[in-house]
Amino acid sequence: MTDETRRAEDRQDTTHFGFTTVNRDDKVHLVRGVFDSVASRYDIMNDLMSVGIHRLWKRFTIELSAVRPGQTVLDIAGGTGDLSARFSTLVGAQGKVILADINASMLAVGRDKLLDAGAFGNLHMVQCDAQTLPFLDNSIDCITIAFGLRNVTDKQLALESMERVLKPGGRLLVLEFSKPTSALLQKVYDTYSFRILPMMGRLVANDEDSYRYLAESIRQHPDQETLLGMMEEASFVDCQYHNMTGGIVAVHRGIKA
Amino acid sequence: MQDQHDPALLTAATAALEATINQALTLAPGARKELAEMADTVIAIDCSTPAVAIFITITEQGKLEVSGYSEAKNKTLVRGSLEDFLALAIADDPAAMLINSDLEIIGQTAPLLTLQQIITRMDLDWEAPLVNVLGDVAGHQLAQWLRGVFSWSKDASQSLRRQLSEFILEEGRLSPPAAELDVFFDDIQSLGLRVDRLASQLQRLARNVDGRD
Repeated sequence: MTDETRRAEDRQDTTHFGFTTVNRDDKVHLVRGVFDSVASRYDIMNDLMSVGIHRLWKRFTIELSAVRPGQTVLDIAGGTGDLSARFSTLVGAQGKVILADINASMLAVGRDKLLDAGAFGNLHMVQCDAQTLPFLDNSIDCITIAFGLRNVTDKQLALESMERVLKPGGRLLVLEFSKPTSALLQKVYDTYSFRILPMMGRLVANDEDSYRYLAESIRQHPDQETLLGMMEEASFVDCQYHNMTGGIVAVHRGIKA
Repeated sequence: MQDQHDPALLTAATAALEATINQALTLAPGARKELAEMADTVIAIDCSTPAVAIFITITEQGKLEVSGYSEAKNKTLVRGSLEDFLALAIADDPAAMLINSDLEIIGQTAPLLTLQQIITRMDLDWEAPLVNVLGDVAGHQLAQWLRGVFSWSKDASQSLRRQLSEFILEEGRLSPPAAELDVFFDDIQSLGLRVDRLASQLQRLARNVDGRD
């Protein structure tokens, strides 16, 4: 998705939902439907779809966060709590981790999983919209959003909201599917996404449509450079990104000035 | 932004290394206790060829965290080539090798030497996991048998090295003894110095002759 397409979309009352054009107000409900449907099998599908590599992508994102004891971390679209669990250990008893998600089903799965893993005390759950974060200005040390930004209706608004709540010097990390750097990998990846992924969704989660949406939403998401530009437009500084697994996934980092 | 390595690959390697080390440390509670006293120590290993950097952080639980990225400020940095690090890994005296090799150390050397001593003293309790899997009796029996095998292998290896050395020096006379070699090298060094001195004297005489002309 190019910068111009995105700006044109922002001016209109419609947006994309996968490859379908829908009313902007409807997207949030449609996305909620997808995640309500996949919540219970989200983790197992993640492992299957990425052959477990999503754990490495998340681990590197946590390393880049450089979170220290006593800090406050906001894990937006934290879903089933993979990042929050690790952040809970890193910030310690004096710190705070807020697991936020717009979807109640995902939060419920995440809460149960974290409690079972013994992660509690410094963990808080908040159901909220990334576009209008219900937190004080300059109150968060680090924000992460892993595989969540592409589902947000107005991504620019969400980035600006994140910039508002971050403390000066605080950092944002966006882990998201992106654009493969090689044409050959792109072809293999397309075949996998549009043929194998929906089939796995049908066999494992009995939900082919939701996993087809996931593949389509990845293609509609801004590429590395476009997202970098959006972060700079949201007033983040020192923005950079790291391609992982040939650019299938990229982690973007920006600092609040 | 172009990384030298795919971060996912390096993360896979560091995660595997971390899991292996910590698994071994679960069998050495003494070492973990000593490591816990070094909590928050960060050791950075910066390999120049191939260009890769990894960071080892010691936790309060006496475990090691291995990562490809760290912003810790008070870290001990060890820099060198892969050859230097391999030589250090197989050295009989790693502390001497660390000091005398081409490895560059920036920051405090004490944590490195302490860590090296802990690793050298580390006594793995192989019996514990065997007992957990096989039960008290069978696990203990197998551990005893393995200990016997390891002990015999160690003795046999030392004996073989000694006998091989004796054969090369005494029976086969394939190599002169170490003491003889040392004297020979000293003589060569002494001869070299005398030749250098003689060359200097000749140059001085030549300059004097040129001056008279």
